[in-house]
Amino acid sequence: MNPLKLEQVVKEYGDKRAVNQINIEVGRGEIYGLLGANGAGKTTTMRMVLGLIYPDQGNIFYNGKAYSQELNSKMGYLPEERGLYPKVKINEQLIYLAQLRGMTRKDADQSLKYWLDRFNVPEYYDKKIEELSKGNQQKMQFIAAVIHRPQIIIMDEAFSGLDPVNVELLKETVKEVRDEGASILFSTHRMEHVEELCQNVTILHRSNTVLQGNLKDIKRNYPREQVVLGTEGAVNGLDGIPGVTSVDRTEIGYRIGIANEQAAQQILTTAMQQSTVQRFEIVEPTLNQIFIKAVGERHE
Amino acid sequence: MNNLKTIVGFTFKNKVKTKSFIVTTIILVLLVSAGVNSLYFIDMFKGDNSASPTDITIGVVQDQAGVTEGLEHYYAKQTKPYLAIKRYESTGNAADDEAKLKSDLASKAITAYLVIENKENASFPSFVYKAGSISMMSGIMNSLESALTTVKTEMIVKDTLTEEQKKALLAPVAMNTEQIVVDSGSAGTNKTDDQRGVAFIAVYALLFLSFMTAYMTGNMIAAEVTAEKSSRIMEILITSVSPLSQMFGKVIGMLLVGISQIAVFIAAVVVNMSLPHNAAIFQQYNIDLTQIDPMLLVYGLLFYILGYFLFAVLFAAVGSMVSRTEELGQAVMPITIISLIAFYISMFSISSPDTMLVKVASFVPFTSPTAMILRVGLGQVAYWEIWLSIAILLVSIFICGWISAKIYRTGVLMYGKRPSWKELRKAMKAYKI
Repeated sequence: MNPLKLEQVVKEYGDKRAVNQINIEVGRGEIYGLLGANGAGKTTTMRMVLGLIYPDQGNIFYNGKAYSQELNSKMGYLPEERGLYPKVKINEQLIYLAQLRGMTRKDADQSLKYWLDRFNVPEYYDKKIEELSKGNQQKMQFIAAVIHRPQIIIMDEAFSGLDPVNVELLKETVKEVRDEGASILFSTHRMEHVEELCQNVTILHRSNTVLQGNLKDIKRNYPREQVVLGTEGAVNGLDGIPGVTSVDRTEIGYRIGIANEQAAQQILTTAMQQSTVQRFEIVEPTLNQIFIKAVGERHE
Repeated sequence: MNNLKTIVGFTFKNKVKTKSFIVTTIILVLLVSAGVNSLYFIDMFKGDNSASPTDITIGVVQDQAGVTEGLEHYYAKQTKPYLAIKRYESTGNAADDEAKLKSDLASKAITAYLVIENKENASFPSFVYKAGSISMMSGIMNSLESALTTVKTEMIVKDTLTEEQKKALLAPVAMNTEQIVVDSGSAGTNKTDDQRGVAFIAVYALLFLSFMTAYMTGNMIAAEVTAEKSSRIMEILITSVSPLSQMFGKVIGMLLVGISQIAVFIAAVVVNMSLPHNAAIFQQYNIDLTQIDPMLLVYGLLFYILGYFLFAVLFAAVGSMVSRTEELGQAVMPITIISLIAFYISMFSISSPDTMLVKVASFVPFTSPTAMILRVGLGQVAYWEIWLSIAILLVSIFICGWISAKIYRTGVLMYGKRPSWKELRKAMKAYKI
């Protein structure tokens, strides 16, 4: 039984449907990607999972059961807009938050020290949030979400506003939490993070699910529409091949857009006739391209 | 339940530690101390005045009936005259006399002057007191009035009575008041003048303390809720604990803050009053704090707590609707006005605690906490009235708490501009609250 399951969940604000029949299942030790442009319904979905608002239709199951107050101690939340008490010492507020989630003072203190060490900043224990840089504030925010070792973690835009070094550091810790068995619902705009972390994704667009499933399957099933060609000499007549939609000359050769995979074979034949082929690849679409295509098509 | 305790503890600890709270409390303690010591200072200055030769001079033009001489004689007999009389010889022309007095008044040779108006068929003339400044006027008037009464008695009885008889005639009638409990079902105790005076001070202090601390802590609740909302920590809090425990944890935590503040003030008063120089003064004025009816303090605390809860839940609800601290002042305005009305109804009625206004106010939630303290302390109130008022308050707290909790639950999730009632209701519906 999966720790988190959303079944045909609908949320309406007045006559506007914010989330339309979403189905999500997050397994143990899984990071599930929830993608979508601004206003697609990600935050509403997450708020429903957190029990802040109730679905109008459909069900959300936590380990097979409906929502109850006791779940609060098993859930962690990293909100999109970061916030902690600016003038309260780190140890006081993080232990307070952990206590509210059902931890004892002593366990919370130990857990906090572990995480501060994990981020190599044990000296922040006694500092106030306002004394920290933005990146370090985010680390504290992250600790607030995981300090009580939750089973289900909701992360809204976990890495936004961080420098690359800190992104790597946080990514490692997210993976660590996942490997300990947590189910993580993860929303972001950054496709490369999803490709690195998630097995399954849902792409939302204007309240609707437009694409869903295993990331590898999605990519495999998505038409491959690009060929990268590397040759020693110039190749002429590529744009004359039926099915070729665009030809871009690059430093190492060509980047050719195709409408179908038969065109790719013709490109290869043409190239071999004229020069020595060093590289030929029918490129899998990136998630970014898939996203833009899935969302963009409906933008029209 | 555990969570509630955690929130209460966190709220209390963090508030008492803030610089602004410590500074405010210290300033208020200084003010309270100054207030307690003021009686000593006033007395000290007054003592100086009576010891020094008088510098109040009243000009009076010689009259035919001999009132002027009578006045001169009256003040000459006193060991420490409150004022001096300066006699002017009459020129026979009233306008010239007054012109002379006026010029002396302008040159500050005299403080004021008395114009004697002889009326036909009257056994004694009437007087007009004329002065440029009215400062100290009531003291001067009191002194002149008793002087003139004596002069008048002297003139009328002349030598028909002995000195003893005159003295007895002039001695003021001694009358003390005692407020007694008429109905056996009424609260309170019989009060002599002194006890009534102490009760008056106690009620005044209770009204003031309870209003000020409840208002301050109420505002702090609203400010904290808004701060939590604008710093977005609210999203984490609200997913950790139920909004109800969150709201009441904060309300109870702040109540403890308010009560500790009151305790500090009371300690400041007691310490100041027991200082040797003050103790003597208070004894002189018959102010003895042990004379306060302990039931007044018990009811005072009870009504303070009930009133606090009623206002605090509203402050929390308003705080939850506002997203930015700058908008808060405007948003709490209606509650501020209600609390001010409640405070002033009681403050203005402190010398007439049994009017219909106070009676009605003592049953209306919001005004009842202060009005009831006033009635218990100084007025006449039956026990059933007190308990009815408490029952009404409890029901109101329950209703307001319930509505506030709903608003709080909805409000904390709404960002952007302050929602109207309609938007709030719509949101409640959408959130299924």
